[in-house]
Amino acid sequence: MKWAAGVVAVIAAAAVPWLQARVDRARGGTQAQDEVLYLWQGAHVKRLFPGFEHLAADIYWLRTVQYFGGERVFGRNTRFDLLFPLIEITTTLDPRMEIAYRYGSVFLAEPVPIGAGRPDLGVEVLERGVRNNPSSWRLAQELGFFHFVYLKDPKRAAEILVEASRIPGAAYWLKSLAAEVLSKGGERDIARRMWREMYETSDGAIKENARTHLLILDAADAAARLSALVVRFHERAGRLPRALGELHAAGLTREPLVDPIGVPFDYDSQTGKVEVSRRSYLRRDDLMGDKQ
Amino acid sequence: MGLSRMAAVAANTFRESVRERVLYNLVFFAILMTLSGLLLSQLSIRQDEKIIKDIGLAAMELFGHLIAIFIGIGLVSKEIERRSLYPLMAKPLSREELFLGKFAGLAFTLLVNVGAMAAGLFATLLLTRGEADPALLKAVFGIYLSLLLVVAVAMLFSTVTSTALAAVGTVCLLLAGRFSDVVKNMKQVAPDVPDTLVDVLYYALPNFRNFDLKDKVAYGDFVPWSTLGWITAYNIAYITAVLALGVLCFRRKQFQ
Repeated sequence: MKWAAGVVAVIAAAAVPWLQARVDRARGGTQAQDEVLYLWQGAHVKRLFPGFEHLAADIYWLRTVQYFGGERVFGRNTRFDLLFPLIEITTTLDPRMEIAYRYGSVFLAEPVPIGAGRPDLGVEVLERGVRNNPSSWRLAQELGFFHFVYLKDPKRAAEILVEASRIPGAAYWLKSLAAEVLSKGGERDIARRMWREMYETSDGAIKENARTHLLILDAADAAARLSALVVRFHERAGRLPRALGELHAAGLTREPLVDPIGVPFDYDSQTGKVEVSRRSYLRRDDLMGDKQ
Repeated sequence: MGLSRMAAVAANTFRESVRERVLYNLVFFAILMTLSGLLLSQLSIRQDEKIIKDIGLAAMELFGHLIAIFIGIGLVSKEIERRSLYPLMAKPLSREELFLGKFAGLAFTLLVNVGAMAAGLFATLLLTRGEADPALLKAVFGIYLSLLLVVAVAMLFSTVTSTALAAVGTVCLLLAGRFSDVVKNMKQVAPDVPDTLVDVLYYALPNFRNFDLKDKVAYGDFVPWSTLGWITAYNIAYITAVLALGVLCFRRKQFQ
């Protein structure tokens, strides 16, 4: 009797996991709960946290990051429906949280499944950021980038970059970049310069995103170079190469026939067209509508 | 009014309040919350320092207010309910000295608590960033002023009503004071409200927004010394008024 209570406790405790497994089997196991947002407007949330708005902004920002990461990795439809309202709430609670505008706009603008595929909302977020932080040249610079890269609006992009260059402390190269945008030079070159500037002046996910975009441009350039070599091969041999490997065999190039992440280029031996493979995440038709 | 007698009451109040278990629980949770900033900052992107500051200062304010309300209310009302006030009344000690001494004692207790919580925040920042901005102390000072006002209000309520109602009243006044911006802009949503009512409410309610320097300090904004001077003067004036009212009520209170 002395040990009875202890024995009962051990047996009962050991039964709990077994019973839980039975319950899981009976009920179909645990299911990940869908993300729910009860309050959709920052102004409403703000009223709930008088004096603690910034703490609430931090919590909402953490939730935004977790939601974005969670949807990317575990999401079933990867629609990022809550992304924009979460960013809106975060930036209403703390209008000076630059990081929320910068990362939030990237999360929104990148195409599905990398991001929400809503560059228009990304621009909206950055416009809000510029309004709320008129002394931040970096936000204005990114708004200019977005207008150029995602909305394909070089005129507006140049205007914004000129405005950004007037902000005290702004990077010296903003003015020349604006001029370059307006000069109607090769769009890919300007885009490359913009992404390089962003890569060199940022860190974290924004730097990583800029690096990916530079690789996208490198891949597109390499495909264009190979296409030109295919034409030269045709001129020499009177036929199109059956495979890209023939360019090497003919001594026309020593360039690798894979994109910067190692995925072989797609080659259509009927038309001679070389493209970044559909299997490669460096293929971005939405960004490559321009012609060099 | 004898300062030495008040100091004796204050010292006794300090000893009494540091024996409260709730105090240690709350300080523990505040420091735990501050340390949780270490974990949460890992989950954010490039916001680690700000999150630690925000969480640390918010924990200090939130738990500081809980301590101020719970202990502030108990100071007078518990003595009345437990009838431990009667032996004190028999001593050569005026009611004013007792009331103000208790306020001073709790003010010192809060100073020690806020100091402990601030040390927790600074230690967390030093651990993660290797440096801690001394300007954070300005926000800590604002929080402390706010706590003193809450204690004064809690003590006033506890002299006129029961413990539970005093707690409700203090929390309501604290919330109302935090919505002072809404009160001031009331006419935007209710244009028919008379101006006088808006003004009376705005100036009569304790403006707890005044003491909130957390956001400015967390972003590294400079808080002028003149601002600290003005909010300190406001705090002293408001507390003096509340304590004077409290003394009046306490003096007239009939103990049966």
